[in-house]
Amino acid sequence: MNDYIIETNGLTKKYGSTYVVNQVDLKVKKGEIYGFLGPNGAGKTTTIRMVLGLARPTKGSIHIFGKDMKKDKLSVLKKVGSLVEYPSYYGHLTAYENLEAVRILLDAPKSRIDEVLSIVRLTNDAKRPVKGFSLGMKQRLGIATALLGNPELLILDEPTNGLDPSGIIEIRELIKSMPKEHGITILVSSHLLSEMEQMATQVGIISKGKMIFQDSISTLRQRSSSKIRIKVSDTEAVSKKLLSWGYKVGSNENYIFVENTSDREIAEIIRKLVNHQCSIYRVEEEKKSLEQIFLELTGGEASL
Amino acid sequence: MGKVIASEFVKIKRKMIVFLVFLGPFGVVSLELVNFWLRYDWLTNLYKDNLWRGLIGEVMMLSIPSLMLGLTIVTSMIANIEHQTNAWKQVLALPVSKAKIFTGKLLLSGMLLFVSCMLLFGGTIILGILLKFGTDIPFLYVIKMCFFPLFSAMPFVALQIWLSIVCKNQAIPLMVGIVGTAVSMFSITFPDWVPWKWPLLINEWGNPIYSVIAGLILAMVVYAGGLLDFIRRDVK
Ligand SMILES: Nc1ncnc2c1ncn2[C@@H]1O[C@H](COP(=O)(O)OP(=O)(O)OP(=O)(O)O)[C@@H](O)[C@H]1O
Ligand SMILES: [Mg+2]
Repeated sequence: MNDYIIETNGLTKKYGSTYVVNQVDLKVKKGEIYGFLGPNGAGKTTTIRMVLGLARPTKGSIHIFGKDMKKDKLSVLKKVGSLVEYPSYYGHLTAYENLEAVRILLDAPKSRIDEVLSIVRLTNDAKRPVKGFSLGMKQRLGIATALLGNPELLILDEPTNGLDPSGIIEIRELIKSMPKEHGITILVSSHLLSEMEQMATQVGIISKGKMIFQDSISTLRQRSSSKIRIKVSDTEAVSKKLLSWGYKVGSNENYIFVENTSDREIAEIIRKLVNHQCSIYRVEEEKKSLEQIFLELTGGEASL
Repeated sequence: MGKVIASEFVKIKRKMIVFLVFLGPFGVVSLELVNFWLRYDWLTNLYKDNLWRGLIGEVMMLSIPSLMLGLTIVTSMIANIEHQTNAWKQVLALPVSKAKIFTGKLLLSGMLLFVSCMLLFGGTIILGILLKFGTDIPFLYVIKMCFFPLFSAMPFVALQIWLSIVCKNQAIPLMVGIVGTAVSMFSITFPDWVPWKWPLLINEWGNPIYSVIAGLILAMVVYAGGLLDFIRRDVK
């Protein structure tokens, strides 16, 4: 067949008459950190819930490790660890007891509790009731719980939500180390591209329920095609001249923009302008940031 | 299934539930102690033919409403452990079937209530001895009267655990349970087919076992219905 760890086909979820997830074909390969991106309300959590078997798809199929989730749900879930939205925990229990309640269900060895506690660096707080934990600690406990069963696939929905910068970095480093050290495949969702940029190897961008981009992060970067901007003495006159010569340029009051051009064409433009006695002050390359591409792709929805 | 139950027992550690399981029977027995103390002569005269039966009759007048109310609260608290921090999504993404999770909650409720009944049994015996009702104790009868109401009330345990699990807002199951408790208190005049009458163990054949059988059969039906509904639902 194929070597996808997660593969969905035409995955769709309808609430009432709205399509919250619409024909999504998620493809996650082994050993990847797959960044699942989208603005608030795009349908990330809903997709993840369906992948985990928590919600029933309206249409479409889900295969994990090549197995159909409809038929082999429990055998698939044995090898999956998950953290959906904000962390779940039992506040009256200690971190250790929280893990114990899950460990029993997973049939994992008791020693695994100490292992995961040390992975997320909660060993020293293991004997404290979780209700007194900070959000970052609860989030780490959630990740520890997800790791209990030695999963081959880790699904984390906005694991850095609500964390301070140092908490975010810590969780990011933790996530990045997983595929290397343990050969785990990770699906991690976020509404911040900047965060994904630093850990994801693949990205899927979802907007209004539809997958609008799915490829490697380097392909996404290539999309950040550069623009050349030129500052000249008389912007208006020069841009008219360039247009009349047949160059596709744009302009505002300060700059002339030339998009998607070759080096040769830029050289040609400059030479002609110099020959026509224009004063050229600056020739600069303007790169679109990934954030801008993300905004363009999602129709500006992510802007505040 | 054993794993599910073991995990449930870890989760109720340090919870009020455990305290309630003791409080119920302890409350009933101590109220009866006060009752017999204050009206010792009158009551012992009233029940002079069979003091033990008299005592058990008085105990049951309190224990049955306590059982109905207790099962409402216990099931709600058990379900609420998951509702509080929305732990359903964590539990149900584990490699354990939804049916086992649901059944585990029901069995835990049943086991805790069973412990309450055991304590009620022990407490009643001690109370009778303290009241000097003699050592000719009708053990079988006391056992029946302590445990049969629970068996007959199993449909309500199944109903309440289903409601508590599927409603995030616990006001709904609590209200249903409290109304049910009130109804059962006045159910002695109801026809035999009304389930709220079954915990009283009174029926026209004069044999409590019929109330128990009816209760257990209906409990299976309610359990099956609740289970199917729970499996069908998306996890919140
Ligand atoms: N049970 C439900 N009933 C009706 N609508 C729902 C339900 N669950 C989610 N939705 C809607 O589906 C849409 C997508 O929600 P979802 O939680 O999947 O988004 P998300 O991408 O995870 O967003 P966020 O970044 O805010 O977490 C939202 O508009 C939400 O209101
Ligand atoms: Mg979400």
